[in-house]
Amino acid sequence: MSLAYSCRSFYAICLSGPPLRNRPHSCYTSASLVLWGRQVRVAVTRYARSGEARIAYQVVGHGSLDLVLIPGFPSNLEILWEDPDYSRLVKRLSAFSRLILFQPRGSGLSDGVDPRALPDLRARVDDIIAVMDAAGCGRAALFGASDGAAQVLSFAAIHPERTRALVLAGGYACFSDTATDAKRLRATVEAAEAGWGTGAGLARLAAGRADDRAFADWWARLERLSASPTAAVAQARMTAAIDVRDLLPAVGAPTLLLHRTEDALVRVEASRQLARALKDARLVELPGRDHPVWLGDVDGVADLAEEFLTGERSVAHGDRVLAVLLVARVVGASGGLAAAMASRHLEERMELFREALPRIVARHGGYARWSGADRIDARFNGAARAANCAVALRETATSLGLAIAQGLHVGEIDMALEPLSGEALDIADRIAASTRHADILLSRLTSELVSGSGLQFLDRGSIAVDGTREPLAIVALASERHLEPLGRGKARPADLGVLSAREREVLGLVADGLSNPHIAVQLGLSEHTVKRHVANILLKLDMPTRAAAAGLVARRAAQ
Amino acid sequence: MLTKTHPVTGAAIKRAIEARDGRTLASFYADNAVTRIVDRNNPPSKPREIKGRGAISTFWDDICSRTMTHRVDVTLADGEQMAFTQACTYPDGAKVFCIALLKLENGLIVDQTVVQAWDE
Repeated sequence: MSLAYSCRSFYAICLSGPPLRNRPHSCYTSASLVLWGRQVRVAVTRYARSGEARIAYQVVGHGSLDLVLIPGFPSNLEILWEDPDYSRLVKRLSAFSRLILFQPRGSGLSDGVDPRALPDLRARVDDIIAVMDAAGCGRAALFGASDGAAQVLSFAAIHPERTRALVLAGGYACFSDTATDAKRLRATVEAAEAGWGTGAGLARLAAGRADDRAFADWWARLERLSASPTAAVAQARMTAAIDVRDLLPAVGAPTLLLHRTEDALVRVEASRQLARALKDARLVELPGRDHPVWLGDVDGVADLAEEFLTGERSVAHGDRVLAVLLVARVVGASGGLAAAMASRHLEERMELFREALPRIVARHGGYARWSGADRIDARFNGAARAANCAVALRETATSLGLAIAQGLHVGEIDMALEPLSGEALDIADRIAASTRHADILLSRLTSELVSGSGLQFLDRGSIAVDGTREPLAIVALASERHLEPLGRGKARPADLGVLSAREREVLGLVADGLSNPHIAVQLGLSEHTVKRHVANILLKLDMPTRAAAAGLVARRAAQ
Repeated sequence: MLTKTHPVTGAAIKRAIEARDGRTLASFYADNAVTRIVDRNNPPSKPREIKGRGAISTFWDDICSRTMTHRVDVTLADGEQMAFTQACTYPDGAKVFCIALLKLENGLIVDQTVVQAWDE
């Protein structure tokens, strides 16, 4: 499950920017987005005039080769940037080209269409020409995905002089004949009628992502910002009517056909037929079932496109940054706690935990993914943020009756790699695996980065880590009930005078045996504030537990 | 096979670039020439390299197919080395500015480094 979709409203605020009236009428600049602690540049959206309509486009990259990308429906050029896979694909393609991102008429940022008089493919080709002219593009390679493939095929047939090459992904010449069967076609149109904007259509395009609730919510938003329900139905009918088979003999541009073998919407046979019908085409069948080309293994797609269009294999594009890595393992899902809990019960709790996770991680500025049934990998751009997130995760897990073991380490990771991976993450995992309890363990190196944050640590010795010569020193994050300082000196008699009046009041109630919630009610404070008071009391008195502090009060009263 | 038709001078480069004459531009390069491009996507430690006159010819064909204006303002020559600045504007207003450093051998460009910045 991806947690990248937890801050959509925030992104929407970023994107809204200053009022349109204060911007130049011809274009406006989108704010950059901060995604998972990384700043993502969002390209300027511009508009080209095609007849009476305005067609939106963006230009990214500095290459000498012009490449026009038509991503397929649904799309919204600004919302798509929020998806890490889409951003990755754009980054890869724009590394070797001047990439022109095209927003088809009737969707997203471009002008709408009249559902009673839908534009034909010729009009859509004119829209591509309008955008190319506005962008100063004389001749381009065109990359069309899904229904965008038919548009670029039409373009190549009508304007061969302006076509350098074609890349088609999940494409087809005739939707109703080769791409899908009548039943699926009917289901597509009916789904657009009934459930547009709810994300229900995701299952038909990327079945593997439909269970990812956060992604499904984002997809629903993409649908809503791509088209109104009426326009979506019109689009579905327009797609169903696509048939460019008679144009294929006129397409002479070298063409690369990409198709995922388990494509959820369009059968791979559609691209096989294209390969047979086109003069100069090469088909590469890729593993996977996501229909949108910008989901799934986008690096594989970009590698093939780059090699086809430039004649050169791509070089590894490393993007290493320093990060704090957190690995959390739900030990209650497979160990002792599971035995105590009915498995059905456990699944319900796990589901609640999965729901809570995105909010918690996002609140601490992190990015996380489930890398297994009971393992979470996360990265943060600060050690204290990561440690505080670990505490919040533990509190949430505990409240649900789950136990999670967490390990934190700091090191460089390659941001280009998805999912998260690398030696630093492996070490964090090794640290997490060194305990079966609901502990938060950190490498000492990580703990030394949080100086001044108020976090306290307990020495836990060292563990052996593969690939490192020396054992790795480990510390545990002290909980509020075990705030024993790391370097406990010689015991000194506790002095209640170091406590504030409020802390003495709280300590008195602790000594009376009241729990934090009861103390909170009695003093009119939040439970969190009481927890902080108790933690401060234990720190100031150098006491390991609240019971010890209560004992101190009892002894003082008896003296 | 391209043939050299013009001597490589600042004035000839200016004429060819401003006229978007890719064929003439390609004729300025030696067979084994290398053009190195440094910009935001291609940092100095990993510049984009275009090797050989054939690839450089394709590069100029692509650039010159764009309906944009080019202005070469400054050209400098120092023996076998040359430099020039180039300001470009796309129809939608986006601007590019670049500085090119050239090394010549036997009157042909053998090495070129371009540093460019774009409106984004």
